[in-house]
Amino acid sequence: MTFLTRSGDKIFHIAIIGLAALAFLELIVPLASVIWVSFFENKIINFPPKGYTLDWYANAWNMPRFREGFLMSLKVGFVATMVSMLVGVPAAIFLARTQFWGREMIQTILLGPLIVPGIVAGSALFMFLIGFEVATGVQIAQTFAGLCLAHSLIALPWTIRLVTASLVGMDRQVEEAALTLGARPFTVFRRITLPAIRPGIFAGGLFAFVISFVDLEKSLFLVGPGSTTLPIAIINYLEWSIDPTIAAVATVQIAAITLVMVVTDRFFKLTRAF
Amino acid sequence: MTSVSTMAMPSGSRTRRHVKLPFGALPIPSLLLVAFGLILPLLLMARYSLAVYNPADIIAEGLTLENYLKFFTDPFYREVLGRTVWVAALTTLFCLVLGIPAAYVISRTKSPVLRTVLILGSIIPLLMGNAVRVAGWMVLLADRGLVNETLLVLNVVDAPVRIMYTLTAVLLSLVAVLLPFMIITLQSVFDRIDGAYEEAAATLGAPPWTAFFRIFVPLSMPGIFSGGLLVFILSMNAYASPVLLGGPTFHMMAPMVYEQAVKVFNWPFAASLAFVLMFATLVLTVVSSVVLQKKYGRM
Repeated sequence: MTFLTRSGDKIFHIAIIGLAALAFLELIVPLASVIWVSFFENKIINFPPKGYTLDWYANAWNMPRFREGFLMSLKVGFVATMVSMLVGVPAAIFLARTQFWGREMIQTILLGPLIVPGIVAGSALFMFLIGFEVATGVQIAQTFAGLCLAHSLIALPWTIRLVTASLVGMDRQVEEAALTLGARPFTVFRRITLPAIRPGIFAGGLFAFVISFVDLEKSLFLVGPGSTTLPIAIINYLEWSIDPTIAAVATVQIAAITLVMVVTDRFFKLTRAF
Repeated sequence: MTSVSTMAMPSGSRTRRHVKLPFGALPIPSLLLVAFGLILPLLLMARYSLAVYNPADIIAEGLTLENYLKFFTDPFYREVLGRTVWVAALTTLFCLVLGIPAAYVISRTKSPVLRTVLILGSIIPLLMGNAVRVAGWMVLLADRGLVNETLLVLNVVDAPVRIMYTLTAVLLSLVAVLLPFMIITLQSVFDRIDGAYEEAAATLGAPPWTAFFRIFVPLSMPGIFSGGLLVFILSMNAYASPVLLGGPTFHMMAPMVYEQAVKVFNWPFAASLAFVLMFATLVLTVVSSVVLQKKYGRM
């Protein structure tokens, strides 16, 4: 290759690497700045900072909307993960183990929450739930239950995707051998299939949790007094002010998700999830 | 295949017949969840978009195209749609300009460590969520944000420059929010394109620019197209960036759907806005794929 090197090669490589560097800066700089500013001592953002402090974290925790938002996001994320696993794992098994003619259609329907844009799906669900409330008197919109329903729905495609991926990747001969040796299908599932796909199930669950935790567009329509998630609390605050307190809140969200991601990566290479 | 699996096959299918009923029932709970959480609500919204608006009642009544007519006859709303398409097109363009080189570097690097670092560097920001990343851009771009403070300290400017509430601010944050989708889509496609093609072009005397634009880009066109499409659709539907970085006068479609549904409570109009948004996205998708197919053949 070296004998072909011309000055054009060099410019080409510099341009490609320069643009790629710019791309990664565009991704990293906003996250890095929000983390950095959260430690600034001044109440307003000042550069260079006069000093560093952890006070804004305490301040954020003492503001009920952030504390309650954080706890609400944790609770909703947990319920959404459980529901999406309970209904998603059987669906994934079905999708991975059938050649049924309607398989493609079922898969498309189940990935629907990923395809329909959040704002459209969120407004539709909002109208549906209010309409339901008018018809039956049961309030679901703007309650914990409504948030859980919406979040289970957005988590579902991810659970199904990750669990299906591990099912397709596993060696079926072991299952078949067990069946040949007389094991009942449920025993095979419990003793062979389940342990083999456990990493996929863990990863699917953790992924579902993250997707639920950071959701904005759907929650927007369904939050109410006493049931507001952390991302909604963040953007509501941002409409009025931008200061180290909100940077601290954002940093807590970054830390929480990084933690979950590190755990997920142990079970399932993140690079395979997309 | 080994003899074990061929022996097991008949037994496997016999067992399957025993459990046929419960097996077919496996996807039902999740289908019900999607039916009640997504499909029925969308159908109801379609009905609402054709209903007559009655401020006193939310029950869908009457049958009219008035809501759609209101949208297309009022220049204000047409302008909002135009701005949404324009912002989405620019975002897609910038994501391509930055995403293609980034994905190219990921797929052509010889260091597995750098590769993993760069892939995680694009996935992790994606999973942080829009709220946090928009907060990051506000910290940077606010009148008293990091960018302005730095410019002031360095004496580049005398007074803070207005960056917030401009198209630039919206584009910066939207590109950052959507770039990971572009990089991840492109990288998986680039990985499948054999480096031998570029080497052959180089051996035959093509300068790298020519090899890149005449060989590599056409080969990866299907991936570039699907990445661009994904980014375009997502930016058409963007909410947080236009609201927070565009400010109250920077109107785009998604925030308007929210406003009409939740604040104004005009559901028929909100529903028709949502369908116009979906339909516009769909039409532009189909048109662009037809145009690109003519240029680059089937994909």
